[in-house]
Amino acid sequence: MKKVYLHPLPVRIWHWINAISFIILIITGAQIRFGDTLGLMSFETAVDIHSWLGFILLANYFIWLFYYLFSGKLFKIYIPPFWKPVDFIKRSIKQAKYYGYGIMVGDKNPHHPTPDNKFNPMQQLSYLMIMILLIPLQIVTGLILWDPHLFSFLVELAGGIQIVSLIHTALWVFFSAFIIVHFYLATLGHTPMAHIKAMFTGYEEEPEEH
Amino acid sequence: MRAIIVSAVVILCFLISYFYPISEVSSQDTKACFKCHSIKTLKKKLESAETLSLYVDKSKFESSVHGALDCSSCHPDISLKNHPTPKKIQSKRDYQRRISQNCLTCHPENALMKPQVHGKIVKSKEISCAECHGSHYIGSMKNWKKTVKVSQYCLACHKFEISKTLPSKEKISLKVSEEEIKRSVHKNFECIVCHSDFSKINHPIYNFKDKVHYRVEMTKICTKCHTDKELKKNPAHYAVAKTTPCIQCHGYHEVKSVKVVKTAPESQYCLNCHSRAISMKMKSGESLSVQVKESDLLASVHKKLKCSDCHKDFSPTQHPIRTFDSVAEYRAKAKEICNNCHKEEVGKYDKSIHAQALVKGNLQSPDCLKCHGYHTVAGIKTDRNLRMGLCAECHKKEMETFKLSIHHEAFLQGKQNAPVCSSCHNAHDVLTTNIAKISDLCIKCHKDVKSAHNKWLWNPPVRLSSFVDTHFASSSCASCHVKGQKAVYLTLYEKRKNKPFTLEEVAKILNIDLEKVKEKIDINKDKKVDSFELWQFIDALETKSDVKLVGRIDVIEPNEAHKIETKKVAVKDCDVCHNPKADFKGKLEINKEGAKPFRIDFDTKALNSAYAIPNISDFYVLGTTKIQILDILFLLALFGGIAVAVGHIALRALTAPIRRKRREGK
Repeated sequence: MKKVYLHPLPVRIWHWINAISFIILIITGAQIRFGDTLGLMSFETAVDIHSWLGFILLANYFIWLFYYLFSGKLFKIYIPPFWKPVDFIKRSIKQAKYYGYGIMVGDKNPHHPTPDNKFNPMQQLSYLMIMILLIPLQIVTGLILWDPHLFSFLVELAGGIQIVSLIHTALWVFFSAFIIVHFYLATLGHTPMAHIKAMFTGYEEEPEEH
Repeated sequence: MRAIIVSAVVILCFLISYFYPISEVSSQDTKACFKCHSIKTLKKKLESAETLSLYVDKSKFESSVHGALDCSSCHPDISLKNHPTPKKIQSKRDYQRRISQNCLTCHPENALMKPQVHGKIVKSKEISCAECHGSHYIGSMKNWKKTVKVSQYCLACHKFEISKTLPSKEKISLKVSEEEIKRSVHKNFECIVCHSDFSKINHPIYNFKDKVHYRVEMTKICTKCHTDKELKKNPAHYAVAKTTPCIQCHGYHEVKSVKVVKTAPESQYCLNCHSRAISMKMKSGESLSVQVKESDLLASVHKKLKCSDCHKDFSPTQHPIRTFDSVAEYRAKAKEICNNCHKEEVGKYDKSIHAQALVKGNLQSPDCLKCHGYHTVAGIKTDRNLRMGLCAECHKKEMETFKLSIHHEAFLQGKQNAPVCSSCHNAHDVLTTNIAKISDLCIKCHKDVKSAHNKWLWNPPVRLSSFVDTHFASSSCASCHVKGQKAVYLTLYEKRKNKPFTLEEVAKILNIDLEKVKEKIDINKDKKVDSFELWQFIDALETKSDVKLVGRIDVIEPNEAHKIETKKVAVKDCDVCHNPKADFKGKLEINKEGAKPFRIDFDTKALNSAYAIPNISDFYVLGTTKIQILDILFLLALFGGIAVAVGHIALRALTAPIRRKRREGK
């Protein structure tokens, strides 16, 4: 069994804080929105938890950002090789084929993660979108809704608080679906717990080919 | 022949008896009366404390027209047998009236009615026969009429308290005081100089409708001598003369010249005429009093001003003659006078709903004069009762509600900082409540209100007062501080100008009558605008203009906002508003020019429609205004995520034999 040190400590800390925050934010978000039917907690409690966690998520985002900026790995790991697009598209199709077909028939995962090339093309594309666009957007819209008067200039920029709310809610919808799929995909290692364990230990185990 | 001589002697005797009536015909009865009544000192004390002389000058009586009559002819109730009996007499006048009744024995009433005016006097019973004609020494009327001076002739009746009742039921006194005439500048005139259609033999009867008619007609007498040409020498006087009867200033019979000293203080100069009940006529026929009471001026805040400080075109040498179409036009001009000094206030007023209402023709709406008075100009600012009472004169319903508030209680307790109407609504720039930003005015007094709210109204982790502002911006103070039903108000705004659309503008844009706008909104006429109707109406407007709806939370009836209660009952529970099932009524509001906004109920489900995102883009109440379709998408996304995982697992389970075979094959 080959062991690759895939997830350095700061990344692991960031990931788990992020994971817990996301789940609780999704749930408290649902409580705020479905106050009349969901009875998990009071409106005030849901808003308080949601606000606290929003700020934790904001701080946490900077752990990720600083780590990847200062380690210089942001470019290597997150940016798809746009200078060889054909190769990237080919590898993406191959990866999609693997999840849709190869995995069923016992093909090997075409992607072999290394510390400098952690994500398969599909992961790379979606995580880039999420980390660079969607999470910042969710954080900013969340901040605006947290105190619309303070961020009134952003409300105006967005074209009204309803637009801000629309973005925040639409992303909530997206992340809710994403987190389910993400969790499921995490069980698709060589054993169902392999990827999850790696997220704790940092070491991804890869069965050696004979 | 003998018969002729006898007849002649009889006739002669008769004639002689006629020429010597008194000494010869005085009856025994009369002689007996004079035994006592010829004593000069004989008198009687009346109940009114007057002294009635009982003396009768025998010779004067005997030479009167009644000299041949027995005393009992006029005093039938007195005979030698029953006299002297103590008799109660109230007063001289009362006695004259009683005795005058006996005149009617010989002078029947129908005969007295023949001269028309005499008839009227007899009929009115205001004066008795004896009062005019005297009692024991009545001479020949014919001779008197011939010799008496005209004025004396007139005064014979007019010196008494006679009066005339006009068809308007007003009573005018016809009494002319000799004393007044003596004081008059016309003292040397006979009555007929002015009353030229009257004479000793002619007494026309006028039929005046009312006192005004009487005064106007009487004034015409003056213009016979005092012609327009003469009056025009003084334009101010001419102007007054054209609108006011002369007698208003110069009196009736005590005609006096109203000498105005131009060097007198200006206000005194003006008051010479304006202190009198003079008025001016508008083209519309309305009449406006231009009387100024000196006491009003002295009690006003303008007491130190001269008349011409306000009435700039007027002075002791200048008095332009102005004409106005109506009182409304006059009052509009009056505002310009105030504007000379009070520019700021007039400027503010011009923007107010009151000014707009006045322009729209609502004459009940206040202008400067309605609140401040013409010359009474009161210092409203310093008079708390006036500040409270003035508005209530029109806004009675609002005042009744206000009386239930903690603010009114504070007012009653005499607290100096207790608010009055203008504290919240402003004094001059009174706007409709949906654009007045009344909450900002609450903060003027409740200075620490933000920090007080911020103690509990904040979002962790940082306690920011801007979070309070967020709430203040979209909900009125009253919505939490007044018990009762709340409503979400949507006001139709013009997007670009960021100002409320008016119903008049909407009608113009849609090219329909003002009354039809309601039908255009509430298509099914169920008096409630549902989501479909609302968005269709907005769509119809958007094709021709740029509109948006501005939302706010407020009390269900604007008047309820006056009922601010104590802090204890204020809403502090976020869930009251932030709940999909929050109990809000919907009120769609379109402002009107110079009137309270047009309001119609709308179904609050419209707030959850996707159309709300572009159309009510600035109004957002967490939980309440959530867009329904996003909830459905959320559930679909949850379901989709799970479906992807479960589907993939299922496929992997189904394909497990293939993988096993492949592994084994290896």
